[in-house]
Amino acid sequence: MQPLANIAPLKPAGAIEVRNVGQVFKTTTQDVVALDNVSLDVKPGRFVVLVGPSGCGKSTLLMMMAGLRQQTSGTITISGAPIPEPDPNRVGVVFQEASLFPWLTAEENVEFPLALRGISKNDRRARAQEALKLVGLDGFGKRHPHELSGGMKQRVSIARGLVQDPPVLLMDEPFAALDEQTRMTMGDELLRIWAATGKTVVFVTHSLTEAVYLADEVIVMSPRPGRIVDHLQVPLPRPRTYEMLSGDAFGSLRDRIWRHIRKSA
Amino acid sequence: MSAASVRRLIVIGLIALWEILPRMGFIPELFLPSLSSTLAAGWNEAGEYAHALAVTLYEVAISMAFACGGGILLGAVVGSLPRPRILIMPMVSSLYAVPLVILYPVFTVWLGIGSESKIAFASIYGFLPTMLATAAGIQTIDPQLLLAARSMGATLSQRLVRVIIPAAIPTVLSGLRVGGALVIVGVVVSEMLISSAGIGYLISRYRTILDSPHVFAGVLLVLAMAVAFNAAIKWIEGKAAIWQTGTRAGQSAEEIAPAALQPAT
Amino acid sequence: MQSGLGVKAARVAIVVALFAIWEILSRTGIVNPRLLPSASDTLATLGDLLQRASVRKDLAVTATEVVTAFALAVPVGALIGFLIAENRYFAEVAKPLLFFAFSIPKSIFLPMFILVFGVGFSQKVGFGFFSTIFIVIMSTTTAVESVKVEHLTVARSYGATPMQTAFRVYLPSMLPVLLEALRISMIFNLTGVILAEMYASRDGIGHQIATWGENFQMKQLLAGVVMIAAIAIAFNELVRWVEARCSHWRT
Repeated sequence: MQPLANIAPLKPAGAIEVRNVGQVFKTTTQDVVALDNVSLDVKPGRFVVLVGPSGCGKSTLLMMMAGLRQQTSGTITISGAPIPEPDPNRVGVVFQEASLFPWLTAEENVEFPLALRGISKNDRRARAQEALKLVGLDGFGKRHPHELSGGMKQRVSIARGLVQDPPVLLMDEPFAALDEQTRMTMGDELLRIWAATGKTVVFVTHSLTEAVYLADEVIVMSPRPGRIVDHLQVPLPRPRTYEMLSGDAFGSLRDRIWRHIRKSA
Repeated sequence: MSAASVRRLIVIGLIALWEILPRMGFIPELFLPSLSSTLAAGWNEAGEYAHALAVTLYEVAISMAFACGGGILLGAVVGSLPRPRILIMPMVSSLYAVPLVILYPVFTVWLGIGSESKIAFASIYGFLPTMLATAAGIQTIDPQLLLAARSMGATLSQRLVRVIIPAAIPTVLSGLRVGGALVIVGVVVSEMLISSAGIGYLISRYRTILDSPHVFAGVLLVLAMAVAFNAAIKWIEGKAAIWQTGTRAGQSAEEIAPAALQPAT
Repeated sequence: MQSGLGVKAARVAIVVALFAIWEILSRTGIVNPRLLPSASDTLATLGDLLQRASVRKDLAVTATEVVTAFALAVPVGALIGFLIAENRYFAEVAKPLLFFAFSIPKSIFLPMFILVFGVGFSQKVGFGFFSTIFIVIMSTTTAVESVKVEHLTVARSYGATPMQTAFRVYLPSMLPVLLEALRISMIFNLTGVILAEMYASRDGIGHQIATWGENFQMKQLLAGVVMIAAIAIAFNELVRWVEARCSHWRT
């Protein structure tokens, strides 16, 4: 399978380049600047977390990287090419709450993007099985979403995002609706999947702990207008462990992010 | 005692009272004939009632095709297009305030007192609420599902076939239930007003000669029709229960527009 | 969320266009003008009718019946609704029965009202009451249930008296739902009374419309239809306007 066959990559697969991007929402009364001159580079295979208070434009930025929304100014390239519309070969997206289709089974949900492209039933099934296995849901393929727990649903969403083997996985607060314990477990699971696949991950969250725990790099954003106020490296070793949560290094990183957010709130 | 058994007792009690009160002479036979004499009256004229039922069912079936077909189709279109929705929906719900029964005389002048005028009236009678219910239901489709489909590269027609239509199935069913119930009412009411055949006509004819048992036999038959229709729809809804979770926060159309969904008189 | 001026203009345009099509269809003879008198003729007839004492009397009769039925059905229905909603067990027993009563067609019981009351004021009011009360009961229970438990708990924890709770928590929470209920009940009520008048009556505007229909007096018939539609829509819009004013309570 050659997902990038039709694009001549100037940059290696999985690189994300955001250059001077602005986004203005026009309402009847005034123009709202959602993003103001945002620039950002993500190297292939990195785990990058966007964090910031509500309204800082982090989800908007993610939607633009997914090709679901167009910026007002500036450019965004994924694997070296702009993304004027969603391209599941280059970018997989995982949404906040389970955006699974309730009338389809878990494996049919994972097959959905393949079915859209007319891939044969057998191929589809085989690839869906593989993806479900990767997220640890082997044997749950025949269940409908309402028969799965919140964490399992998000695993299916991740499998769906990965089934076409895109180099980039974008995640919009994927664990926000989960309880604290499930959230921590899913974080570990995601890190395991990320390590196994080597994808570039851009992950949006409200949670400072989650941000530091998961990320190679944390991008801190502030609202009105949405812009990047800090870009910090997380030097903690991999694999991450729960013990690190109470360590000094972890604490000082989280404090640094918190100070930015407190200022803008 | 459980609520269900109390309820059963109440129902049994009511049926018993229906038999006992008229028999004991507490209620004049003219006002309320006993259950047994009602059933006997119906049984004695079974052929006449069967013929009337056939006429009524024929009119109901055709009207239902018009009302539900048209209502669901137009409701789906209007509900999924924001501009026409904003423009038209308030007008349609204003129209819903008009006691449509005043249109029936117009139809009798135009189409005569045969089946055509009943079908025209019942079709219009069932159409508006079906359309309102469908349009309201279409709006309850979780936008996340559409966004997810788009992120996977679904085209407009793929989104319609694979997301909007399956997600709209519960709505279509509740539209069918409302529209169907109203069509039954519409047909029977128009038969009661001016007609020469059908159950409504029988009810009215026996009413003018003050033959209460025969009036109530007809009423009972219409009730049975309405109950049977409801049960049929419930059965289908049960079969499609898996779909019920396809709307935002599991809302059903009834919760959004409860009153619009109910049969007016 | 409120519609702009453009939308309103577009709506007016749609209504005007419909009347224009009606006028053209009739004037050009595409549709037999005896079956469909032109819009202008109909509106002129409507003007005449409103001058006539008999029509005014019919309107007054209908209005009296509607108001009486409404005034009876709303408090009675609301009381029953409250009692049901306030008691869990009661609600569990009664709700499916009410749902059932609500879902069956009421109009088939119209002959029963004639058999019991004869033809006249009480038969029409009775049927109007009967067509309205179930929706009032249902809406009231919905309204009571729309009061958030959290709000009640807050009120209780700050020592609100039952009176205070009623006026400061229940009423404001329920107001939007109640207004909506009032609007829908009125629709049911009007339909019920007019149907009763059309079915068997000696006066009232519904009776008049049925008579015009039987005598093929299309101009009067259509004028009557336009008149009732206008009255119903006007009432509906009035309540919706009030609803919109109270809408900041919602959510």
